[in-house]
Amino acid sequence: MSDERDKVEAVRTAFAEEFAGYANLSLDSSSLSDVESLLRGLGELKIKHTGKRSEIAATMKLIGRVSPEERGAFGQMVQSVEKEIVNSIETAESKLNRYISNAKIERDRLDVTLPGRRPRTGHLHLITILRQKIEDIFVSMGYSIENDREIETDYYNFDALNIPEGHPARESQDTFYTTDGFALRSQTSTVQIRAMERRGVPIRIIAPGKVFRRDTPDMTHVPMFHQIEGLCVDKGITMAHLKGTVTEWLQRLFGEDTVTRFRPSYFPFTEPSAEFDFSCFKCHGTGKFGSDRCRPCKGSGWIELGGSGMVHPNVLRAVGVDPSEYSGFAFGFGLERMCAMMYALDDIRLMFDNDVRFLEQFR
Amino acid sequence: MNISYNWLKDLIDIELSPAEVGEMLTRVGLAVEGIHPHGDDFVFDIDLTSNRPDCLSHLGVARELGVITASSLTERTETTAQVPLPAVLAGEIVTIEDADLCHRFTARIIKNVEIGPSPKWLIDRLEAIGERSINNVADITNYVMHELGQPMHSFDLDKLAGGRIIVRRAKADEEITTLDEVERKLDDTMLAICDEVRPAAIAGIMGGLESSITDETVNVLLEVAYFKRENIRSTSRKLNLSTEASYRFERGVDLENLVRASTRATQMICEIAGGEAGDLIDLYPTPEIANTVESIDISRAVKRLTGLEVESNKCLRILTSLGIDPRYEDEDPDKQVKYFAAPSWRHDIAIEVDLVEEIARHSGYENIGTELPPAYGAGEYQATEPRHKLFRQSLVDLGFDEAISYSFIDTKHDETIEVVPSFVGRELVTLADSVIEGAVRMRPTLLPGLLAAIRANFNQQRKGLRLFEIGKAFAAGESEGALPYERDLIALVMTGGDMLQGRAIAERDVDFYDAKGAVQAALEAAGVEPAAFSVADVRHLRKGQTADISIAGKLIGYMGRLSDDISAGYKFKQPIYVAEFDLQDALDVAQLLPIYHPLPKFPGITRDVSFVVKREFLYASIGETLAVHLNESFRGVSFVDIYEGKGLEPDERSLTIRLEYRRDDRTLTESEVDALHKDILEHLARSLSIQPRV
Repeated sequence: MSDERDKVEAVRTAFAEEFAGYANLSLDSSSLSDVESLLRGLGELKIKHTGKRSEIAATMKLIGRVSPEERGAFGQMVQSVEKEIVNSIETAESKLNRYISNAKIERDRLDVTLPGRRPRTGHLHLITILRQKIEDIFVSMGYSIENDREIETDYYNFDALNIPEGHPARESQDTFYTTDGFALRSQTSTVQIRAMERRGVPIRIIAPGKVFRRDTPDMTHVPMFHQIEGLCVDKGITMAHLKGTVTEWLQRLFGEDTVTRFRPSYFPFTEPSAEFDFSCFKCHGTGKFGSDRCRPCKGSGWIELGGSGMVHPNVLRAVGVDPSEYSGFAFGFGLERMCAMMYALDDIRLMFDNDVRFLEQFR
Repeated sequence: MNISYNWLKDLIDIELSPAEVGEMLTRVGLAVEGIHPHGDDFVFDIDLTSNRPDCLSHLGVARELGVITASSLTERTETTAQVPLPAVLAGEIVTIEDADLCHRFTARIIKNVEIGPSPKWLIDRLEAIGERSINNVADITNYVMHELGQPMHSFDLDKLAGGRIIVRRAKADEEITTLDEVERKLDDTMLAICDEVRPAAIAGIMGGLESSITDETVNVLLEVAYFKRENIRSTSRKLNLSTEASYRFERGVDLENLVRASTRATQMICEIAGGEAGDLIDLYPTPEIANTVESIDISRAVKRLTGLEVESNKCLRILTSLGIDPRYEDEDPDKQVKYFAAPSWRHDIAIEVDLVEEIARHSGYENIGTELPPAYGAGEYQATEPRHKLFRQSLVDLGFDEAISYSFIDTKHDETIEVVPSFVGRELVTLADSVIEGAVRMRPTLLPGLLAAIRANFNQQRKGLRLFEIGKAFAAGESEGALPYERDLIALVMTGGDMLQGRAIAERDVDFYDAKGAVQAALEAAGVEPAAFSVADVRHLRKGQTADISIAGKLIGYMGRLSDDISAGYKFKQPIYVAEFDLQDALDVAQLLPIYHPLPKFPGITRDVSFVVKREFLYASIGETLAVHLNESFRGVSFVDIYEGKGLEPDERSLTIRLEYRRDDRTLTESEVDALHKDILEHLARSLSIQPRV
């Protein structure tokens, strides 16, 4: 029996010797590859010292040589040695694995604050953004969007709009002409005429588009800009409907608390005519933003936006509509001017410089 | 226009603060833009609309204020009736030869005046409204113009040849040196106030230097007249000379106010500069008939157009106080009013709606209701707008910023940029002149605007750029006198790195295929059938990197790398890729509806093959060749990779493609695929003479 015990002891000793390097492992500041090679070595030890072909397994075969009364104690001894070997290896293994896994996590650590991988998206032009917003509002109010020519005859740009020859608004110093004598439309009101000729009345349209005036570019003038024209003609349309409609769309754009103000004015194609203002969207009409003078409205509390009025009977007659039967209102305003106020732009030319640093500020 | 508060109070009895006056005037349409203190006075800055020349004076503003406050005007400037010199005698001093341009002419000779500085009160008044003092007589005529709205001119009588005035058209090339010491050439459409020999003043615009009042002047001839408005405007435009006088004459002064203005000025001259006034000369060859407006029921008309309920009596009260008088039938005030007569100072009152406006603004626009019109049908976008929106948004998602450029460009681009096919062969549109130097061409292409934008952004150190613009381009009409041709085009430009948001350096530079991909993606987003790209030769694009873009067999535009010549002209040092096509042509094609294909039940097998091909070889030719061989087993070809360089001749490329074999009813066996693949390769070898690399 002592022979067999000795053999078991020898296996234990042999293992202990080979395992010595792993017994009190200190992995501090070991490199990942060193630890991985330790783990591989440990794997070899494991194969050698555990399993059916291991030496400790071989000692189990000695059990037959031990006297029956000692077999129980011997069996326990072999099992305890085997358990000791397995435990030692597993402990070391799990220590190494934990170390490796931690080291890998460390190695793969990211800076999560770096920018995401995201293609740079572009930007619609400020004018398009505002135009689409306003179009959406009017379509939902039953208006159709009209689009039309930018180069016009004097008839559509002037005569049909009750601007006869000799009228100050017709002076060529405001209007661009082509060498063939056509006018670059100086207001989107031309679309009133074209749309009524095409669709007849009753009619509700808005017409966004480019217009041209002979202004040399400076901080507040550009020779090309965008207007939106609105027209509503039907039986029984009054100036109260004009006020209601203008107020409604401004409230939808700038909020329920927006109020409007109409002041008598003059335009050849409307009578009575009115300019319309709305309470500043920033200071809500107070003229103050915090303790500063409000920028968009320059402290007045009001933003002057556009012109409007009841369609002049001569304009209705020009498209074959009887002004004693039908009446209507029209209004128009400039988009650049509106943008300039909404975003406190001090130089309107920025709209056409196509400077990306400007364009990418709007969505 | 500047209006003095104190001066107003001379003309109307009001007990109102300047702020109250400002608010009241603005409310009725005389927009007071500012109230500025001036000594013990306040000055209103009024932005007057062009239809109200009658308010270009203190009297006119006082009149409006009188209607608002129901106050009466003072009689300070009223004058007693004058008996004019009999026409026979008057004719010795003034002759009107062209009565069509001079409706009325009054004159007065004032002898033995003493020219000198004006009294302080007069200088103060003029300075308050921003006018400079010259001498007493000149200041008085200026003063009366600002008070009563009537421009007038004083001549040195002794400098007028023959001591008389002839109102006639100038002779062609007749010359006059005006008060501003500029020598001006007149033509025979212009009215001149002449002496016996030559023009002494340009009627209604500016006096001549020679006959002007000087310190030595003793005898004055004061002219107060009315000229045809259109003629003053046209002369003023032709001479490029606009004055306070011409501004008023061309908008219309009060024909019945001439004598009062003349008398007021004469009295002031006699008081301030001494002198004895002669008789009034008043020649009135062309009387103007006041506008009469028909209105059966003015109260109803007001209600119909404004929704305001204003009783007839109140309507009449407003109109009457504005000087718009009801004309009773048979002079019987009990009968219904049918007509209203506009006063001589209101040229803008012509039809019933003009009366409605007067009543509405004096009733207050704030009293008009605020309501939406009754419900109506559904609104609608332009038919193409949804597709435009998808197209735009797709480009934005691909990193393009939307640009808007001026529609007029320099003519120099005519020779460098090739227009899209829908513009080929058309004459271009030219502006008579421009406000931007050289920019007289209505653009037939959007590219120059985008190239200018690239240059501007490069100057700001932005080197990675993607821009697009959608807008109208122009060409001449089909025939003489036809309106120009207008089409919506789309242009895009792309250059520099493939930018990622928030990263300073691009991972790679864009190339032709990025631009092509953008065009394809945007068209697909808008539901347009796939565009075809074929080798092309276009003036502004670099040979070998240029493609025609066609949709449904129709050529709609071009894309490619900007030519070296043009790049050099802009000093571009990196490749620029551009595309331009007719957006209407593209979106005219019916929108594609997706077709459902049942999902494959059996796996397919793919084989990748590489060929060494010459550089002229086109990948598209493979697809074209194999199109007829597509069947229930051979499903198609796709691109894998192209390689050039090491291991290949300089004129060669290695092209790798993928061929797909799949059946819907069963799984193909390897040996079946081998046979099919062999067939396909044989077709390619036969048709295109290409062999797989081994």
